[in-house]
Amino acid sequence: MFLEIKDLSVKIENKNILDKLNLNIDKGEVHAIMGPNGCGKSTLANVLAGKEDYEILNGSINFKDNDLFDLNIEERAQEGMFLAFQYPVEIPGVNITPFLHSAINSKRKRMNEEEIDNLSFAKLLKSKASDLGINIDMLKRSVNTGFSGGEKKRYEILQMSILNPDLAILDETDSGLDIDALKIVTEGVNKLKTKDNSFLIITHYQKLLDYIKPDYVHVMVNGSIVRSGGSEIAAEIEKDGFQKFQQ
Amino acid sequence: MNILDNYIKNKKNIFFSENIDIQNHREKLINIFENDSFDKKNNESLKNINLKNFIDFKYKYLIPEETSVINNNQENSYSIVSVNGQCSSFKDDKIEITKILDEDYNDFSKNDTIENIDHFVNLNSLFLNSGFKIVIKKNNHIKIKISNIITDDDLTIFQKNNYICEEGSSLNLIEEYENKNNSTSNILNVIKLEKNSQLNHFLIQDNSHNHNLIITSHSSCKKDSIYNQKVYNFSEGYVRNFHYSELIEANSEANLEGIFFLKDNNTSNNKTFIRHLAEDCKSNQVYKGILNDRSKATYFSNTHVDQVAQKTEGYQLSKGILLSDNASYFSKPELKIYADDVKCSHGSTIGPIDENAIFYLRSRGMSKIAATKILISSFINEELNSIDSEQMSELIQKKLVRYLSKVK
Ligand SMILES: Nc1ncnc2c1ncn2[C@@H]1O[C@H](COP(=O)(O)OP(=O)(O)OP(=O)(O)O)[C@@H](O)[C@H]1O
Ligand SMILES: [Mg+2]
Repeated sequence: MFLEIKDLSVKIENKNILDKLNLNIDKGEVHAIMGPNGCGKSTLANVLAGKEDYEILNGSINFKDNDLFDLNIEERAQEGMFLAFQYPVEIPGVNITPFLHSAINSKRKRMNEEEIDNLSFAKLLKSKASDLGINIDMLKRSVNTGFSGGEKKRYEILQMSILNPDLAILDETDSGLDIDALKIVTEGVNKLKTKDNSFLIITHYQKLLDYIKPDYVHVMVNGSIVRSGGSEIAAEIEKDGFQKFQQ
Repeated sequence: MNILDNYIKNKKNIFFSENIDIQNHREKLINIFENDSFDKKNNESLKNINLKNFIDFKYKYLIPEETSVINNNQENSYSIVSVNGQCSSFKDDKIEITKILDEDYNDFSKNDTIENIDHFVNLNSLFLNSGFKIVIKKNNHIKIKISNIITDDDLTIFQKNNYICEEGSSLNLIEEYENKNNSTSNILNVIKLEKNSQLNHFLIQDNSHNHNLIITSHSSCKKDSIYNQKVYNFSEGYVRNFHYSELIEANSEANLEGIFFLKDNNTSNNKTFIRHLAEDCKSNQVYKGILNDRSKATYFSNTHVDQVAQKTEGYQLSKGILLSDNASYFSKPELKIYADDVKCSHGSTIGPIDENAIFYLRSRGMSKIAATKILISSFINEELNSIDSEQMSELIQKKLVRYLSKVK
């Protein structure tokens, strides 16, 4: 199994958020998670990425034959995990280009691959940016600083396509994107999809799943997966909401 | 040794000790110290400091054998090596360098009101043993670099320098303090900007841990003049930066900026004070500090706007990153406004490095230490980018890299 989450319970500041959550994702699969506000979707994403504020009460996570808890944040990224944040942070003064360059090289180093030089990286970045309709001028700016909501989301996907992860977690990447941007961004995701990488997509809207076809849709309520199935679940939720899953 | 004994014993190599007026002034100063009549609670020159260490000191001064070197290799560009605070005289059609004279003595001390009494400036006046005066002549545009060298251990340098930028002149002044020996420098710079002149003043402080540097400046700006001061404190020893500016005529400007990098047990005390005494003047006071280990810093910033100083713009900002739970940074901005048409503001943000930003950078594969370093650099990015000399910028970068290499 590529990613295996077993009986995961997590709390933060005396509040239990995830409750015996189980989820398996195999190579080449696209999974979607839907669930009401506050049910713990971003918490799951953050725990996977390694955010340290949470207390793991119970359970295990296995990623590419590693106990995920043995890896720190950067090691997880270097192993091929990527989280596109729901709320990307602004980091004034940290320039996008050198930051991404050093990020990709730290990954290559861990994989014993040759580092990519300045010039080739600049080319790569330019071409990926233009694929995603990102203005070259934006690459001169500081990370997320002063970006509009939609620009931040696009920029997350740019980073994803540069880092080419094995497991990409997209936390509400669709929210904030206008309809054209949604098309461009989802095309970018689809282009990246191979039989060897996997996606975990968190969303509130069926619309996104029209563009990126999930193999599985899971419903999350109160910190656990209460139902799993195919695309039809997304349609059900769109129609009736989460009420019937909440008992 | 007490102040009076110290003074009497060393009178022979203290400047102006034959001048009766100055003698009288010094007696008053001695009285202040002898009576121990300090307002320890409110006096900013006493915060975070053990004054006793600076009063009960062993006076030692050596008149340098080697005279200082003044080089004028490139046109309009001079490099000076000052030795034990002294500099030999020099004159051409653009600049003039001389010893300071009796009449220069009172410049700052007189200005200092009782409530702002600065004990280190008083010590400087009392034990004055070195210093020079540089005049930039009318309408000339000059670059000067001064390296300050101290020849021996245990020296106590009390130095007063006067800088005068005559009408229409400009000066780019770089002062380097890189002392490795066990000594104390108490330096007072008195700076006068005449009409339509400009001084860009850089102070690079990088002393080893056993050197104390107490540096005070007092600048005054006449009509249409600009004083820019940038302090970079990388010292491992104690540094006090107290800088006062007065905008005495219309449309003048003063910018007092500083960055300090502290680690281990080091302390740095900082103060900027800008007095707006005329209309249409601008000022900025921006200090940023990075504090690691058990280091400590204070920063007092003050803007005083006189009632005639309409259309004043005055900004104050203090920012700090605490890299350790044991580091501390006390910052106190003060604003006194007696005019009604002014734009003034102050802000202060001090805290640990932004954990969310660290998480974000690490989640892209950057190590924790690399993320920390990149965030420290970004904290002072604006200041570093605004250095327009490539040589200076490289120098500061190098020192920054050295500081960062100790961050764990
Ligand atoms: N630092 C924290 N302290 C206390 N409670 C927290 C903290 N962080 C998250 N929570 C709580 O955990 C719960 C789950 O939050 P989470 O962000 O995972 O929800 P979500 O499913 O992503 O919601 P949304 O759809 O609104 O994005 C919420 O009730 C939230 O208030
Ligand atoms: Mg969320």
